[in-house]
Amino acid sequence: MESTPITSRRDFFARASDGLLGAALLQLLSDDLYADQPEPANTTDPASTYDLRPKPAHHPATATSVIQLFMNGGPSQMDLFDPKPALAKLDGKPYPGSVEEIGNTSVTDIGVMMGGQYPIKRHGESGMWMADTLPHTSRMVDDICLINSMWTDHPNHDNALYKIHSGRLFMGHPTLGAWTAYGLGSENQNLPAYVVLGDPLGLPKNGTRNWTSGFLPPVYQGTPFRPTGSPILNLRKQYEEPSDVSATASEMLKQLDQIHRSKRPHQGTLDARIESYGLAARMQLTANEALDLNRESSETLGLYGIGEPNTDSYGKRCLMARRLVQRGVRFVQLFLEEQPWDSHVDLASNHRAICQRTDKPVAALLQDLKRTGLLDTTLVVWGGEFGRTPTSQRSGDIYTGRDHNMQAFSSWMAGGGVKGGLSYGKTDEFGHRAIENPVSVHDFHATILHLLGLHHQELFFRRSGLEERLTGVNIPKVVHDILA
Amino acid sequence: MLLRFTAATLILCFTLMTAHGETTGILFETNIKPLLTAKCGKCHRESERKGGLDLSSMEAIHTGGETGDDLLTASLEDNALWHQIESGEMPPEGEPALSEQEQLLVQRWILAGTPSQTSIVKTRELNQHDVLPILLLRCNACHGPRLQQGGLDLRTHANMLRGGKSGPALIPGDPDNSLMIQRIESQACPPSESLLKFFVRRPSSAEVTTLRNWIASKAPVGNVKPDIATTQSDPLVSQSDREHWAFKPPRWPDTGNSLDDFVGRKLIDAGLTWSKPADRFTLIRRVHLDLLGLPPELGDLQRWSTSTDRNWYGKMIDHVLSSPRYGERWGRYWLDLAGYADSEGGISADPLRPVAWKYRDYVIQAFNQDKPYDDFLLEQLAGDEMLGQIQPSTVTNDTIDKLVATGFLRMGIDETGSRTMNFVPERLKVVADVLSVVSSGLMGLTMECARCHSHKYDPIPQRDYYRLKAVFQGALDEHDWSSFKQRKLDIATKEHLRQIAETNPPLEKQQKALLAQQKQLEIELRLNLLRHHHPDQSEADNQTTLKALKKADNNRTLPEKKLVERLQKAELVPDSNQPTSVLNGRAAAEQVRKTLHRLRQTMVPPKTIRALWDMGRPSPTYILRRGEHDKPGPLVGPGVPTVLTDGKTPFQVTPIKAAAQLGTHTTTGRRLAFARWLTHPNHPLTARVMVNRIFTRHFGSGLAADPGNFGRQTDPPSHPQLLDWLALKFVQSGWSIKAMHRLMMNSRTYQQSSQITDQQQQIDEQNRLLARMPLQRLDAEALRDSLLFVSGRLSLISGGVPDAVSVDRNGLVSVDPSSVDPSSVDPSSVDPSDNSKPNRTSHQSPRGETSGNLDQRSVDSWWRRSVYLQYRRTEIATLMDTFDYPQMGPNCLDRSVSTVSPQALMLLNDKHVHSLSQSFASRIASIIESQNLENDHRTRVNLIYRSAFSRPANPEEIELGTRTLNQLEIAWQGDESKALATYCHTIFNTAAFLYVD
Repeated sequence: MESTPITSRRDFFARASDGLLGAALLQLLSDDLYADQPEPANTTDPASTYDLRPKPAHHPATATSVIQLFMNGGPSQMDLFDPKPALAKLDGKPYPGSVEEIGNTSVTDIGVMMGGQYPIKRHGESGMWMADTLPHTSRMVDDICLINSMWTDHPNHDNALYKIHSGRLFMGHPTLGAWTAYGLGSENQNLPAYVVLGDPLGLPKNGTRNWTSGFLPPVYQGTPFRPTGSPILNLRKQYEEPSDVSATASEMLKQLDQIHRSKRPHQGTLDARIESYGLAARMQLTANEALDLNRESSETLGLYGIGEPNTDSYGKRCLMARRLVQRGVRFVQLFLEEQPWDSHVDLASNHRAICQRTDKPVAALLQDLKRTGLLDTTLVVWGGEFGRTPTSQRSGDIYTGRDHNMQAFSSWMAGGGVKGGLSYGKTDEFGHRAIENPVSVHDFHATILHLLGLHHQELFFRRSGLEERLTGVNIPKVVHDILA
Repeated sequence: MLLRFTAATLILCFTLMTAHGETTGILFETNIKPLLTAKCGKCHRESERKGGLDLSSMEAIHTGGETGDDLLTASLEDNALWHQIESGEMPPEGEPALSEQEQLLVQRWILAGTPSQTSIVKTRELNQHDVLPILLLRCNACHGPRLQQGGLDLRTHANMLRGGKSGPALIPGDPDNSLMIQRIESQACPPSESLLKFFVRRPSSAEVTTLRNWIASKAPVGNVKPDIATTQSDPLVSQSDREHWAFKPPRWPDTGNSLDDFVGRKLIDAGLTWSKPADRFTLIRRVHLDLLGLPPELGDLQRWSTSTDRNWYGKMIDHVLSSPRYGERWGRYWLDLAGYADSEGGISADPLRPVAWKYRDYVIQAFNQDKPYDDFLLEQLAGDEMLGQIQPSTVTNDTIDKLVATGFLRMGIDETGSRTMNFVPERLKVVADVLSVVSSGLMGLTMECARCHSHKYDPIPQRDYYRLKAVFQGALDEHDWSSFKQRKLDIATKEHLRQIAETNPPLEKQQKALLAQQKQLEIELRLNLLRHHHPDQSEADNQTTLKALKKADNNRTLPEKKLVERLQKAELVPDSNQPTSVLNGRAAAEQVRKTLHRLRQTMVPPKTIRALWDMGRPSPTYILRRGEHDKPGPLVGPGVPTVLTDGKTPFQVTPIKAAAQLGTHTTTGRRLAFARWLTHPNHPLTARVMVNRIFTRHFGSGLAADPGNFGRQTDPPSHPQLLDWLALKFVQSGWSIKAMHRLMMNSRTYQQSSQITDQQQQIDEQNRLLARMPLQRLDAEALRDSLLFVSGRLSLISGGVPDAVSVDRNGLVSVDPSSVDPSSVDPSSVDPSDNSKPNRTSHQSPRGETSGNLDQRSVDSWWRRSVYLQYRRTEIATLMDTFDYPQMGPNCLDRSVSTVSPQALMLLNDKHVHSLSQSFASRIASIIESQNLENDHRTRVNLIYRSAFSRPANPEEIELGTRTLNQLEIAWQGDESKALATYCHTIFNTAAFLYVD
């Protein structure tokens, strides 16, 4: 059954003394160096040493954690969320306009207009549109804020992925999660601030660059939790050693470091280093505990679809995400392997298959967060790097998929201070371009930061004389309309 | 555009005037001009135009500033002048703001349609520089330097009129019948199929209108000269802008003739004094790690710690500076500055740069030879043009060096070799990275923001950014672009060619065979995967799958795509569920990969050079408004930041005949001129920036705190006179970097202890005054190299093809052991600090009696120094990454230091680190044996301390060590060697190992 997470230092010691955490560990922890230190100022001084201690927000936050359900490949907005009857009417006919308007680099494979692929209807009190491939998520629409007017700047996956994660079309810039960790630190020093739950089937397109800290110190990069075995690299010893050997070695290390430290007054960095060894030891316990789904009830496991062939994998990761934010992890990101939403052919069956993998777990996550009260402070973000075109893509003589569309796509948020039941923004009659209340990627980021209590202008990092920001040089707008 | 705007204005004026009849009373001359003169005139008048803006006349306001914004728009929403005032952006902080009444007045004047006495708002006549940028962007690929489709070249006015096979491109006065317009409007040009082939996009309708209007007005050439520095004073940068300390050449201070003089004076002023000198062992370790990134050899430690020479310290520095390991350490800092990488980055494939390492070796060699810094810069900025001046008749090593050196300008992220990412914006990103590396790395100026607008804090107008861009236009021309795949030279010395011919053919044959084998293994592996996981799938389908893999993914048919997906799923099945055939196949493929890599390292390197060279046909350079590639502004010529000149000296450029090896053209000579200007002894920044960088590495922080920014926004230097003195000494020494090391390291300041006293903590917590030395953590390279060195697993073979890394399924990136056995190499070249000393045995005999549970990989393997690791942007070795090895974006001027638990996990739990501790233990055991030392714990502990901490253990430590070793032996059930290995592993985890006092 679920045991209470360790939430404070006092809790920790209380539980350490009841033997749960073991004696060897206690040695490492006897100098709790954080205990008497004041909370550091939210400084961006490049000369300081970087760590993950909690930092004050710029303004009161409505979300303290984010779970980003990243839908790599680009889900189709007109098929899932933003129905366009005009498309059905023109189904099979050529695009009524210059095909170059469609906005991709090549115009050679443009097919014909393609109507919505699924039955789609209004749901909940809010009457939000959602396709029948998302039966579970449809039941949560009154908690969901759907943005139909997202747009981005590049029709290639690589660049659009850089953009949606780091605000730039090029590699090397820190991602939203890294900025969040940099801006706010972590509430739980025993776990990383920024955790990535990858798909056991493989890395997403762009690989580890989706959670890079870019030019920020590497301490802010996402830590991938491995789906099987020990969750963090080197969390356990990668070699055999009897436990009394380890205990003796730890004792010696502690003594040597204390001798070293005692001869060097005022060297705070040495305290931080000793502490990092303490954290490492604690992390061994916390990380395993955090991911141990055996502690959940069978009702909860069932809710997430754990144990069912289609949903088991994604369900487990959604539940892990809940357990992580519950323990104070700041930013959790879920990825799918490669880019399954990228349906250039057979969109109807491809999208349905991914919905079957993810819909139930996603809805369960919302429901579970809601019933535990965590949804109030957890922002859930669902979406990909771009949307899809109103036309089909020609692939030989097959016209069953859609190409990339940077001019409009749908994403949704829930919890953490956004308005539930709101459908925001509009696209044109084909769902091709955002025409009302367009939300740029910078706006999207600024809004998420805002919910986290961070101001996009005040969150910067000085690099070769420039103040680098997630949202770039031009001032973005926080989408106040969607805030609760 | 203009017409529409005027019409809109008229309508607005009309409505407003009828609505607010009283607004008609406001006139520019009587009401607005005095106000603007008083509140804005300081920076926006005719003789001084910040942001290119002059607000002193209606005409000037209409012309606007660098943004190209119309300041006379009668809508408050769109009026940039009003926006600046309303938002409080202008006047800037410290200048009197407009009163509420004044604001209201400006508001009413704008809303009234900006009335003035004389209606001087006139339409500027279009000239060729309004259309050339459009033609460059849209037509140059087919009608420019590379191709003249249909015999047409659109680069000059004369050529447009001359036209091609179909006749003149345009008929002045008759846009409708001009071929250019007809072709563009019918979308015959640019042809659909060429859009992606040549990376062009169609002209916008606004661009077509401009073309039409220009032709309609008879296609005037106009009399526009590129904006370059003249003998007239510069209106964009004032004399007071030049007053900032960093923009004035360094001056010899009136008093003071040593580093200590300047530091001491400040210390006394603050009521502080130097700390006590560090003890000898501390100094030995500090100097070795600082200069070499490695701890001293046991022999060296013995030698220097027991030397009775009064000058032992200075001699040690000279000795250490002569080690070839020095360049590997200090060259690495330069590689950070250059943004060195072995891959292009950008696109997902992250393609490797097969010969980037030649530049790395050039840098290391330059540091080892103490190449004068001015020559070092000249070669890296303009090696190709220097050759043009020399005109070498045969290719010499020097020829090659100068070309390899220009690799400095080729290190940024470059995705222009990709199928879809070679449009002008992506090319401009490559150029921007070069300018950023040059300006912040070499000049301590942050110019990046001036790409879009004049610098907010420093007197760097946007124009100066584009003048600097023009300096590189002859080689990096976004309209005449070579992708990274094409931008390489095949030039080699006769000797090199001979070696290639002599050595490589049989190796190439082997390579070919291995590649074929690799291919075959891959096919078999895939077939095995399919056969095992999809036993029902037909052989024909299996073959179709293999064929489909050869196509790009979006060119595959649906059935092909589905087949490929089936294969991918099979590949993703975890190892535990793969058949032996697959696991064996993978192991075999891995073996072949490693063999291939080893082969590549044995071959004589290819003649290919990753270089930058001038093509002698630069496109005109236009300012890009807001940095947008399709918003061209005024034409500029090459130049340097005005604030670093007197503002009245033209930038002298002499074209140079290209070196015969590079072509028959004449180069622009611009980069060479720039490099000469930059390395002039009186340059205010070049020497200062470099000595500050050296100082930062030695003392933990810089005299100027930010090594990449000496601008007005940063704190003044802690010791301005010292910075000047060092800069002048640097130039005086013949730009010798080693002279600077001597000068700094022989100081009393450098030899202080790093202990912090209460008094220092109270008065100078940040240690800006240098009353002590800093405690510094080893950086990623020094840590990894030290681990290997102490364990006796470090191969000191230098240079050449970088060592590859492997990525396992968990994401662990580890370094493949080096393929070359260092014992096969001439020992004189592998000693870190003495070229004449015979090779030591202590580091070479880790194979000992302690074989018990040793990881074979470690025992038999060698790794080279971290500087020789392959730096692929997407595959950074985990150990390095964990200890703050930087990402290059585009470069790294200042590494960060983090202290986090994954570092502890790495050193405690990682298999490789653990196996190194076993090697360390064997090495200790074999030293004891070979030197016939007392085989007891005291001796072991002492040797371990000397190796790892470069000092003997004190009695307390020996006592603790002996006790621990006894306990460990019990815990290991009497296994001495395992106990010793655990002890060594713990030593690797101590703060004493990780930090340098």
